[in-house]
Amino acid sequence: MLFPTITFAVFFLLVYAANWLLMPRFRLWKWMIIGASYVFYGWWNWRFVLLLVAATFVNQALGVQIARARRRRGGGRAAKRWLVLSVVANLAALGYFKYVDFFAVNLDHLLSSVGLGAPLPLLRILLPVGISFLVFRVLTYTIDIYRGELAPASTLDFGVYVAFFPYLLAGPIARARDFLPQLSSPRDPHSVDAGRAFILILGGLAKKILIADYLSTHIVNGVFASPQSFSSWETLWGIIAYSVQIYCDFSAYSDIAIGISLLLGFELPENFNASYTARTVQDFWRRWHITLSSWLRDYLYIPLGGNRKGRGRTYVNLIVTFLLAGLWHGAGWTFVFWGGMHGVGLALERARADARQARGLPEPGATAGTRALQRLAVFAFVSVAWVFFRADSIGGAFGVLWRLVAGLGSIGSAVTWPVVGLVVLGIGIQYVPRRLIERLEDGLAGIGWAGQGAVLALALFLIDTLGPQGAAEFLYFKF
Amino acid sequence: MDDRDPDKLPFGRRRRTAASALIAILVAFVLGVLFNAPAMKKTATELPFGGQRSVRLALVSPAAAVSHWVFLDRPARFAAAALGKPDPGLRPVEVVVVTPRPTPQPTTASGKPRPQPTAKPLPKPYAGHPMHLYIAGDSMVGIPGMALVNLSNDTHLIKPLLDYRISTGLVRPDFFSWPAQLQRQVKAFDPGAVVVMWGANDNQGVQTSSGKVYEFGSSGWEKEYRKRVGDAIAILFDGGVRRIYWVGQPIVPDSTYDRQIRLMNDIFRGAAKKHPGVQYIDAYEVLSDGGGGYAQYLRDDKGEMQQVREADGEHLTYAGGMRLAKVVMAAIKAEWFGKKKPGAGSAASSPKASAKATPAP
Repeated sequence: MLFPTITFAVFFLLVYAANWLLMPRFRLWKWMIIGASYVFYGWWNWRFVLLLVAATFVNQALGVQIARARRRRGGGRAAKRWLVLSVVANLAALGYFKYVDFFAVNLDHLLSSVGLGAPLPLLRILLPVGISFLVFRVLTYTIDIYRGELAPASTLDFGVYVAFFPYLLAGPIARARDFLPQLSSPRDPHSVDAGRAFILILGGLAKKILIADYLSTHIVNGVFASPQSFSSWETLWGIIAYSVQIYCDFSAYSDIAIGISLLLGFELPENFNASYTARTVQDFWRRWHITLSSWLRDYLYIPLGGNRKGRGRTYVNLIVTFLLAGLWHGAGWTFVFWGGMHGVGLALERARADARQARGLPEPGATAGTRALQRLAVFAFVSVAWVFFRADSIGGAFGVLWRLVAGLGSIGSAVTWPVVGLVVLGIGIQYVPRRLIERLEDGLAGIGWAGQGAVLALALFLIDTLGPQGAAEFLYFKF
Repeated sequence: MDDRDPDKLPFGRRRRTAASALIAILVAFVLGVLFNAPAMKKTATELPFGGQRSVRLALVSPAAAVSHWVFLDRPARFAAAALGKPDPGLRPVEVVVVTPRPTPQPTTASGKPRPQPTAKPLPKPYAGHPMHLYIAGDSMVGIPGMALVNLSNDTHLIKPLLDYRISTGLVRPDFFSWPAQLQRQVKAFDPGAVVVMWGANDNQGVQTSSGKVYEFGSSGWEKEYRKRVGDAIAILFDGGVRRIYWVGQPIVPDSTYDRQIRLMNDIFRGAAKKHPGVQYIDAYEVLSDGGGGYAQYLRDDKGEMQQVREADGEHLTYAGGMRLAKVVMAAIKAEWFGKKKPGAGSAASSPKASAKATPAP
């Protein structure tokens, strides 16, 4: 079920009413929200629901075993074994659904290159939507129990955590220790942060439909599918437009998910914070897909040793973490390359900072000019990396980049005023002061229900009228 | 996590009650439905003929009537007109009158068959005078079409135009009228050759001009669909097109859908045999494995395994699209650049199709 559809609007209306009607009977509410989430997820393919059920029972059983082992004297090893089993089981499920064919094809290439080519069984495995998010989410449960930071929840609560539909498909990756406490008592029906929720939902829809979908169909898809048909100028704008598209698409999903959760009485972590205003690659990852980057930091980078094992190892850990982050995004070398670029970028930044520190040099001063240049440099780096993220193959990505210099001489017609305007808007909205957005939220919260309804209807009407016909899937569904 | 203290929201903002928010949502929903009712009715009308369509229409039609009565359908219409967009509501179907192509062929005074326009020698493209190639169809032609555009650009002698419309086909001109679009594009682009690929969305009931609806697969449906395929061919040839490359649908993993596709492929193949100048490209065979079964992965010319189909089992990846595009380009080159005798259009019609063609449904 897609958020920007009439089907979801009807679904949400029913769920919202049931949510607050059943809230006083909290146990019944939990069953209701699990059922609604299964309907939401099963809308694509009902078989996917079995995955949610399996994830719930398997991880709950493992979480309980980990906690029991931890309570026993000398049970540390047993707890670790259960944890390893949990990690292996979840990664095996992810590997089966997402990576089997990728590894089979690459093994086939390898064997063929040494003259041992043999037909390998290739399966047509249907990738459950959002499985990568699901796996990362449930791993926070078992790992945090192992670390003693979380006690096992009831199976019913854990079932809600696994299936809660707003974040089910594309995050934010709400950690168990942040979400489960919200299931300890009914949400207060007298304290719904409706103003913020409505602004998040409307803003998300506008970003997705008006900016991301338009740029996708009017320049990005063409430039990446058939680069030789476009001039250098058009290619440059196509690449920039993709950077804006992916931000407006993915952050839109997060905003809508957070807004919907707020209306149901739950808070989800923030996932984007003016990402393209970053002045370093490290800063970018503190602003982009925040729940993923903090997950990678806490559950991968730090366990690998983080920065505690010397400089060289720190750089290696950064690169390894981001290579795996790339692979998490998709079963393809383009994603690995994209992750590698970010890993190397972070390692180089760290090395530069270490070198300055070793020589006793202070941090360079930041004038308005240097800040602007830093932002531009980071945006350029991130945009080039996105080319690999978007392209069908590494060769295809280099083909697009090559057009930046090979297509000089003509301007072309793909860079229209609407494209330029939406790119500028997509970047510009990241510079809107937070205080202004909060004032907007307050303004909407301050008017009565009739006014709110009218504003919502008018905004939805404008988005629908100005946007293209139909709604495209969110880019991050496939991850 | 939002670090604001929920009890001390900035600017003294009050949180709303769930009931107040519900009423706001309801008001927005009702107003939204009324604003959008014409488009919702159009969407319902465009659903495949059947029960779901009837139910949706029964639900939406009253809303559309109320919307019209209280003038709330006007803003969307005015806004669409101001933005140069099509009216959001139902539009009259673009009717295209097609003159049936004469069969049997007319004869000359001496009694010999009069040569068809397609039998005239094809003009060889040269630098500065490229052959215009129009590529049309539904979403299935999107990726192979892009690959074909790339291959065409590589020749520097073919000027391609890709025109694919998702969810379209030949059975629902009320959703998108391909006959009208073909007429427009043929006039505007003046293509020498046309590549078409339809069928993926045509496995649904069809309504004849008399209003009768035939279920997919019935003899009435087959007759009407054959007519529409013939009409499309006639429109293109009447517009001056010299060659048509009709790409069939590729094999799919779903056995029911696959049977439907094979039925349509038979109709396309039959039309190619019947009309000189139309060549059938057997995508079903091109994208099947060695045993004629469905393949998600196939080996390329170098023997490397490539994913040729998307996860939906239907659409093509770029590698799959390129595989198909190369076959189409080979057919184009053989006729437009080859040493083959010009005018061999009919003889070229699906030469391989009879040998290893799509299995019968």
